[in-house]
Amino acid sequence: MARVELVNLSKSFGAVKVLHDLNLTVEEGEFVALVGPSGCGKSTLLRIIAGLEEASSGEIVMDNEIVNELSPRERNIAMVFQSYALYPHMTVEENIGFNLRISGVRKAEVRTLARAAAETLGLTDLLDRKPSQLSGGQRQRVAMGRAIVRNPDAFLFDEPLSNLDAKLRSEMRDEIKRLHQKVKTTSIYVTHDQIEAMTLADRVVILKGGVIQQIGTPSELYRNPANSFVAGFIGSPAMNFVDATLETSGDQVFAALKDGTRLPVSEAYADLGPQVQLGLRPENLHLAEPNAENAIPGTVQLLEPTGAVNHLKISVAGQQLTVVDDTLTDLALDANVHLSIASDQIHIFPKEK
Amino acid sequence: MAITPHDPVGQSPHGPETASEKPRRVRGHAARRRWIKTLTPWLFISPFIIIFSVFTAFPLVFSGYLSFQEWNPVAGLSSMEFVGWDNYALALDDPWMWKSLYNTAWLAIVSGIPQHLIAIPVAYLLVTAVRSGVRQFYTATFFVPFITSTVAISLIFYTIYSGNSGILNQWLVAISKWPVFSSFLGWVEEAMPIRWLNSSDLIKPSIAFVVIWKYTGFNIVIYSAGFLTVSKDLYDAAKVDGCNAWQQFWNIALPMIRPFAFFAVTLTIIGNLQMFEEPFVLTSGNSGGVGQSGLTASYYLYLVGWEWLEMGAAAAISWVLFLFIAIVTAVHFYFNGKKGLGGDR
Ligand SMILES: Nc1ncnc2c1ncn2[C@@H]1O[C@H](COP(=O)(O)OP(=O)(O)OP(=O)(O)O)[C@@H](O)[C@H]1O
Ligand SMILES: [Mg+2]
Repeated sequence: MARVELVNLSKSFGAVKVLHDLNLTVEEGEFVALVGPSGCGKSTLLRIIAGLEEASSGEIVMDNEIVNELSPRERNIAMVFQSYALYPHMTVEENIGFNLRISGVRKAEVRTLARAAAETLGLTDLLDRKPSQLSGGQRQRVAMGRAIVRNPDAFLFDEPLSNLDAKLRSEMRDEIKRLHQKVKTTSIYVTHDQIEAMTLADRVVILKGGVIQQIGTPSELYRNPANSFVAGFIGSPAMNFVDATLETSGDQVFAALKDGTRLPVSEAYADLGPQVQLGLRPENLHLAEPNAENAIPGTVQLLEPTGAVNHLKISVAGQQLTVVDDTLTDLALDANVHLSIASDQIHIFPKEK
Repeated sequence: MAITPHDPVGQSPHGPETASEKPRRVRGHAARRRWIKTLTPWLFISPFIIIFSVFTAFPLVFSGYLSFQEWNPVAGLSSMEFVGWDNYALALDDPWMWKSLYNTAWLAIVSGIPQHLIAIPVAYLLVTAVRSGVRQFYTATFFVPFITSTVAISLIFYTIYSGNSGILNQWLVAISKWPVFSSFLGWVEEAMPIRWLNSSDLIKPSIAFVVIWKYTGFNIVIYSAGFLTVSKDLYDAAKVDGCNAWQQFWNIALPMIRPFAFFAVTLTIIGNLQMFEEPFVLTSGNSGGVGQSGLTASYYLYLVGWEWLEMGAAAAISWVLFLFIAIVTAVHFYFNGKKGLGGDR
């Protein structure tokens, strides 16, 4: 187990700068999720930590030792690759046990440990198969097995569940969580799926274009997103953004929508304005009476039932908002409705240029 | 779709059936068009069939027939005379036959194995350690001997190996005078001139060297293609699994190119067992050189057919050689075929 620290880490491929001055500390035993859009440098970061890629500048520190110069073998890090990278000429069992074999563990013990790992991942029936005879999800589990069979200082996961179906994915998620609670190995987990990040991680790192946008616990990110990118990335369905103008009257600050609706907001936002973006989470918007507090008028564009809740698309001041309606109200298309939101649930961001 | 109450009785209750009650008509083609359809594919492959028949199938059958005849080709077809198994008996009785098979096997092994032992690491280094432009340059250079006429190469080596004026002997003498080398090359001076192609001990190694030199580049190309198919991810995974450079080569790269190795070895076996030009030129076409040390099976076959004009016996020998190659290849397939053909992936 190790504490992993990245200090002013940058990486360029030729003229293309992929990672910009990253600083991140992953405490010993911590589970950190790394999320961000495709191409933002998540895999590159993991490869640098694993020692497969050299940093252009900056330091990788493990337990207070700078490990920039060390080979992957010396760093003792296990990694699950996005592309699985299973060895086609080895059976599932050989794939899982390969690391142990290379480290000189006795044959019988390799066998026992590989089988135990396979058992955990539900691969027992497939031990004698070659990777080409497995489904995508099974391959992904073998790739997981190759990592968990070891006792590394840190785990790096590169989207390990992206190819599984919803049910298996949530099962594996639980399995990973259980595993981490048991062995408490420092883990860095890359994912596109924010639910995965929120449910698994102690802290989440949001990366965009090679720059860290925010680091925080899942609830911090949800409650206090640092910018509109983080706000839009965390939460499902995604946050709604509405153009507004900040107006001050007396000591009260209002956000005025294009249709003239004025919503009182915290005065802490006063100096962001005048042109701003309001961030309204779909689950914080409610259908309301016309005379309710903060009522916003709109018309129903679309109603999407998902079973437990309905997702409504409501047109407000020329923009379309998503609303999660847990009252399952039956609404006609083009019906006029009103939405309300508590003032302290309104996020305000500077307007993007 | 729902079943209407008017549906005729007796229909399956499990699903809608909409078959009309009129008898079904088969739509098809007129007989002439069916003929054209059947013949077209044959027309397209006929060039191959014709060439194959004339140049492969016919000679094959004819040589089988010929191996039971006594025939001097100069005297015309009418001089053919049926002799039963005599040709085979004669061939198997001839000590030169056995000598040539022994020489063939010796040359196949001694000139075959080093080709691969050199080509595999060279190809690996070219693929993993240098830029692709450099790799292509070297691969092309190594490939040049393969596309050069064997006769030209053999002639050049013939002069290199020459006893009195050959470069090889001159170099050996020069090197043997260098400080360090002189201690263990002291014998060179006395042994001069070394007759590389005119002593029964040295002919085969000399031939083998030429063959290795000529074909290693070809194998480098095959193995390079093989190593290029190994995805970089696998090496990354192996590094994370703790492999050093040698372990990556041994555990990942080498098993991954097994199908290529199998292919290359098969070609080497078949090619080496038919070796003819190199020994023929290097022994000046002189009955396999001193003591027939350079006489290979194909060479012997040539002597019997074209020097001694015994076509029937030559045909019999060619069938014996065929059997020999078939058995060796079959053994190779038996032991390496499953993994080599990728049947284990
Ligand atoms: N070897 C390389 N040479 C040049 N550019 C590269 C190389 N590897 C990655 N890149 C670039 O670096 C950027 C980050 O790539 P990376 O694979 O880290 O993205 P990612 O965040 O993992 O994306 P995804 O979620 O799609 O896997 C991309 O723009 C990619 O094109
Ligand atoms: Mg990636």
